[in-house]
Amino acid sequence: MQQTTTLEADIVVIGGGSAGSTAAIAAQQALPRGRVILMEKAHIKRSGAIAIGMDGLNNAIIPGHATPEQYVKEITMANDGIVNQRAILEYANNSFAMLQELDGWGVKFQKTPSGDYDVKKVHHKGSYVLPMPEGYDLKKILTRVLKRAGARVLNRVMATRLLLDGGRVAGVLGFDTRDGEFVVINAKAVILCCGASGRLGLPASGYLYGTYENPANAGDGYSLAYHAGAELTGIECFQINPLIKDYNGPACAYVTGPLGGHTVNARGHRFIQSDYWSGHMMLEFHRELHSENGPVYLKLNHLAPETITEIERVLHRTERPSRGRFHQGRQKAYCDDLVEMHVSEIGLCSGHSGSGVWVNERGETTVPGLYSAGDMACVPHNYLLGALTYGKLCAQHALEHIKEVAPPSGLDDQIAAERERVFAPLSRPNGIPHHQFEYKVRRFVNDYLQPPKTENRLSVGLAHFLRASEELEEVGANNPHELMRVMEGHFIRDCAEMAARASLYRRESRWGLYHYRLDYPEMDDRRWFVHVNLKKGDDGAMQMLERPIDPYVVPLEASELRGYHDLRVADAEPAREGASAA
Amino acid sequence: MSDIADRETVKADQARRVGNAQTLRRYDVPVIVDQTRCITGCRICIDSCPVDCLSVNPETTKAHMEFDECWYCLACEIDCPKDAITVKIPFLLR
Repeated sequence: MQQTTTLEADIVVIGGGSAGSTAAIAAQQALPRGRVILMEKAHIKRSGAIAIGMDGLNNAIIPGHATPEQYVKEITMANDGIVNQRAILEYANNSFAMLQELDGWGVKFQKTPSGDYDVKKVHHKGSYVLPMPEGYDLKKILTRVLKRAGARVLNRVMATRLLLDGGRVAGVLGFDTRDGEFVVINAKAVILCCGASGRLGLPASGYLYGTYENPANAGDGYSLAYHAGAELTGIECFQINPLIKDYNGPACAYVTGPLGGHTVNARGHRFIQSDYWSGHMMLEFHRELHSENGPVYLKLNHLAPETITEIERVLHRTERPSRGRFHQGRQKAYCDDLVEMHVSEIGLCSGHSGSGVWVNERGETTVPGLYSAGDMACVPHNYLLGALTYGKLCAQHALEHIKEVAPPSGLDDQIAAERERVFAPLSRPNGIPHHQFEYKVRRFVNDYLQPPKTENRLSVGLAHFLRASEELEEVGANNPHELMRVMEGHFIRDCAEMAARASLYRRESRWGLYHYRLDYPEMDDRRWFVHVNLKKGDDGAMQMLERPIDPYVVPLEASELRGYHDLRVADAEPAREGASAA
Repeated sequence: MSDIADRETVKADQARRVGNAQTLRRYDVPVIVDQTRCITGCRICIDSCPVDCLSVNPETTKAHMEFDECWYCLACEIDCPKDAITVKIPFLLR
């Protein structure tokens, strides 16, 4: 029988990556020592999407280079109008202060000889990319500031469900993935910062952990929010990225683009106008890949040797530094060869696209006391600086919320039920191994959810994901580590069902490849200019709903709304789809 | 023919209810630890791993890759104070 540890806190932050670090720092700075608990499934020194650092900020709004209004317009365009502009504007208005705070903490940004931030243009319209060539220290710096602030950190503890008191959040339940201890934390507010649902699609290599996202980000937060009754939104707007084939790390257009690198087809011709990751760019990329012009490559071999050295110095030290040994193993070099690229597996992520938990400009979800920031919270294209900024915003608003919360009562039944659910796989040591269950669900995700989508395929996929619920009752674990993977299997299955249902619901195509429906190939603003949300209904089944798009605070002309459509280079030959194309 | 059909019906039903069996498999894993450099008692790489796939091998008292779940992120290799770790690209991607 596993021990239970019960802890008390004012605010619990789940996930100690980028968003969770700034959330815990800001919350702890305003509260007595130890009243903020940060729960991290890994160890905070190397956790989250930027465990190994990051090579730049993709969405810095720096005075003199861009304005908040320009940025809101750009992201509204990039996300085909389906945005809560207030949430994006709140980011845009607060992000420069966050950037300066990071600068003060010792994060090194690239500056010009005159000391100005050295902003680059990668987006289709404006300039927002700020390189961090020494960004390999970012997570270490965040960890240092967090420790100095005095937040209590629980490493290797996984959250499995949120505690609810009536309709509001009252704490977190989970377990220690090393010793198996059950953990109960009573709290007045919870900030979910669990990252993307990055272990959803199966990489083409078939390797379960060869994902684009840190594979620790298994969609934990999406599932935690869902089972707490929170609304999720834009789940059909998948994350799909152009990556180095097989290695599955980013080809880093944001690093190489400003230095002259770009994407080409097999003929060596450019075919997209902007390498910024949007659904419309991905659609052109996908078409080219499946045409007689495919595969698609990253081209750097026209650059001067010293430029390539500079690129390698950044790429081999930050974000995914093992790419150097991957290329060497294949006997390829940036100076001589084109680098073959591919389309990633699907995921859910608002940092890159627009699929996440519904939040407003205060970081509030639809459940009182529950906040969310970072890749899992829907503020489209929010990236790293969005996570850092919204982590802090969530903490500021959670600090207001906890002033009015009465202590909860009568939560024992929830705790007992969750204990039983979580530890059940340990009673089946000879059950189905977690990796076989996971492989199967994720293979079905590829078979039936990978765009282009159709009603028929999505429906078949959904039936498989419902059957997977029953199969989870057969999955067994021999130790707390395996138990962690089984519980991640639950999260992955939940996300797969959400992705299938949301994709079935929106009967149009939008966001280029992210929601490309072969049976409804046109974007239909008259019917579908709405947010498609989902939540757990009172009967326990997944329920779909719609929310109107709030009036824009930064108006756009009708013609501007489609500013990201047609990203194909004007004089490029149209991609002729071959027999293998979907 | 009917015998075979009946047999299949019976076995199909049995197959749904019978328990599970396991086999042992050999895996090539990407994290290689130099036993002569790795320090007994040090757990730095084990703490660094974002997917917790490393542990102390009770037989050798040195770190090893226990679970085939590596993201080839290099956290263990970079953080090791003795340069005892080499991470290879997992074979499926190599």
